Amino acid sequence: MYGYRLGAIGIVTTFFIIIFSTVLMPMVLFNPKASGRGNDYKVIPLSVGDAARGRQIYVREGCFYCHTQFTRIQDRGYGPLVKEGDYVYETPHQLGTARTGPDLTNEGGRFPSQWQKAHLISPRAVKPGSIMPSFSYLSEQDMNDLVQYIQTLGNKRTVTAFVTPPDEYLPTTPQGRGLAARKTVDTTSDAAANAGRGIYTQNCAACHGLEGKGNGPNAITLEKKPPNLTRDYYKQYPDEHWFYRISEGVTGTRMPRFQSVLTEEQRWYLVAYLKTLPKEHEETIDNLDQLNVVEPTHLPVLTKQVYEPHHGKE
Amino acid sequence: MLAGTEFSLPDLIRGVPQLAMPHLRMWHVNAVAIGWLSMGYVASMFHMIPTLCKCDLYSERLGNFTMWAWNILMIGAFCTLLNGNTEGREYAELGAILDVIVVIGLVAVAFNLYMTIVNRKVKKLYVSLWYFLGSLFWFPLVYVIGQRTFVALPGLNDAIIGWFYGHNILGMWFTTVGVGMMYFLIPRFTKAPLYSHGLSMLGFWGIALFYAPTGTHHITQSPVPEWLKAIAIISSIFLLVPVLTVLTNFFMTMRGKWGMVVTDLPLRFAVTSCMFYLVTCTQGPFQATRWINWYIHFTQWVVGHAHLALLGTFSFILTSSFYYCMPRLTGREWHSQGLIRAHYWLKFLGFTLMMTSLTTAGLVQAAGWALGYPVDQWGLALFPYWFLRAISGFMIVTGQCLFAYNTYKTLFTPRASADSTVKAREVKV
Repeated sequence: MYGYRLGAIGIVTTFFIIIFSTVLMPMVLFNPKASGRGNDYKVIPLSVGDAARGRQIYVREGCFYCHTQFTRIQDRGYGPLVKEGDYVYETPHQLGTARTGPDLTNEGGRFPSQWQKAHLISPRAVKPGSIMPSFSYLSEQDMNDLVQYIQTLGNKRTVTAFVTPPDEYLPTTPQGRGLAARKTVDTTSDAAANAGRGIYTQNCAACHGLEGKGNGPNAITLEKKPPNLTRDYYKQYPDEHWFYRISEGVTGTRMPRFQSVLTEEQRWYLVAYLKTLPKEHEETIDNLDQLNVVEPTHLPVLTKQVYEPHHGKE
Repeated sequence: MLAGTEFSLPDLIRGVPQLAMPHLRMWHVNAVAIGWLSMGYVASMFHMIPTLCKCDLYSERLGNFTMWAWNILMIGAFCTLLNGNTEGREYAELGAILDVIVVIGLVAVAFNLYMTIVNRKVKKLYVSLWYFLGSLFWFPLVYVIGQRTFVALPGLNDAIIGWFYGHNILGMWFTTVGVGMMYFLIPRFTKAPLYSHGLSMLGFWGIALFYAPTGTHHITQSPVPEWLKAIAIISSIFLLVPVLTVLTNFFMTMRGKWGMVVTDLPLRFAVTSCMFYLVTCTQGPFQATRWINWYIHFTQWVVGHAHLALLGTFSFILTSSFYYCMPRLTGREWHSQGLIRAHYWLKFLGFTLMMTSLTTAGLVQAAGWALGYPVDQWGLALFPYWFLRAISGFMIVTGQCLFAYNTYKTLFTPRASADSTVKAREVKV
């Protein structure tokens, strides 16, 4: 009988010690203050939809089973890292456990609301290969509210640290050293930049514009605008970062991965060209008047001059 | 002892993801956790505890009451969750009223079983009883803390408590009751005395100490306090101690009796369960470390791990217990040994397939996240694994249907059959 009592006391004490340390202590010690970047749903204006109600729909439809809402250090391209204070208004929490789909921490503003709505109704129409179920059964009001909620996600987060190229592109790793060893192009030479110009015109100008200002004809259709590559910010880009961006594209935008189209040598030419873009003020495109006007093409007069292929080495 | 026949079949399939609505996922988790495992556990305890105490259940009427309460609960859960009436907290989706029913049910069960143990005829408490006693005390408390129905905590605190609950529903209920059942069943099947009572005590106290604080390892990479993460990770690693002692104990008990696995089907279920327990519990501590968590988190690897625990380990031991208890409760032999064998192989092969496909899919996803590629660029690469998982899920459900049919044939009671088969249909979609 004594052993029985001892055991019971043991179970009770152990359990309460654990509850004290892992449940009560965090509640008392861990009280993050609002960081100003999380959304206080009570003060969001009800312009199109009600974000607070949209959040309830997000919960009701169980979106958090496949979409997480916290970014980690290694999540390149998913926006700034989250802080404790970002979550003070999030009850019940929607951190999520598994990512069957992308992280939604900073989803707000990535795509137009119409896109989001189309994506909810028919995911595969706007995102081929997606395995998200269709939520076409939601009512119009539900759908608007949900989209409104999605558009608030992470909108107030500000960028404090910028993305750096992954280690595989830097000379700190064997892969990076291999990449540098294979690089035969002098990215500072005019010849390489000249070679890159043609590649740029064929592959990049449609979105980034002829001068790299982000004003190509396609720019009007993109919610996430192509960047103005003439900005000061891009002048500090090291070669590896340009190369990384060209090779692997930009997550969350329409920028594709050019490594499947261009050879390594061609990409280095492109880097050389991008570095020669003029430095200018920031500019984004919001209306048709600002687009590049397509000029009538003048075919060059045919001569007998022979063009030699360029290899980047002088 | 009517409650002993009460069970519902699990929704062990999630199917091809296009077909599976998140609602189905809520129902799946709750049907497995509350419906299949908890109800089955309570049913087994209603048989095992009186057997170990050599006395009758304290109150038959209370037992029947809990059975009806839980069945009504499951119907309620079915109706609400599939319509999206959820609290939006993983593993704690059930609404306020249903929560109250669960707690009433649990407290009634705990009271009933505690009184049975108080009235026992055997002086010494067998180790299974230690486990059952512990679980029956822990689980109602963990459940009450974990629901957060009537409190609104700010985001991250909510997450901390949520995972305290989310992991302890496993640690303080599924694992402890499951291991208690293994302690009961393996010596019974092999007719050999337990290898060491000292080891079993070490295992029990190890689990009691190290399991409860591990919850935060689910959110290691989120901005919760570092000290809490450290406690969680350290105790996760220490969990290797109770796991290995427990398994050493079982395997030493099995010494010289391994041949029985060929002929004794319930024992085969139990031993498979132990093997999966070994795998899942060696996976767990490593997954909890920061380095592996960095790579593996958010992927289907973790889903595979969860299935390994709930389906591979605890579902198998529960099935074993059903096969053991049912003839002893009803006095009827099983209708067909062939069906049991088919059930075993369908479940075992189906599960192995599921585990392999989930783990591989997890590795593909992990590479995708770690390299920072957009999801749509590697999402299609996962398709074969989703497909394999659907097949495996179908195999497991077929196995369970055979089990239900077998039970029906054995019992010849329309109530049980209606109960179980209807539920199987419902969740298969």
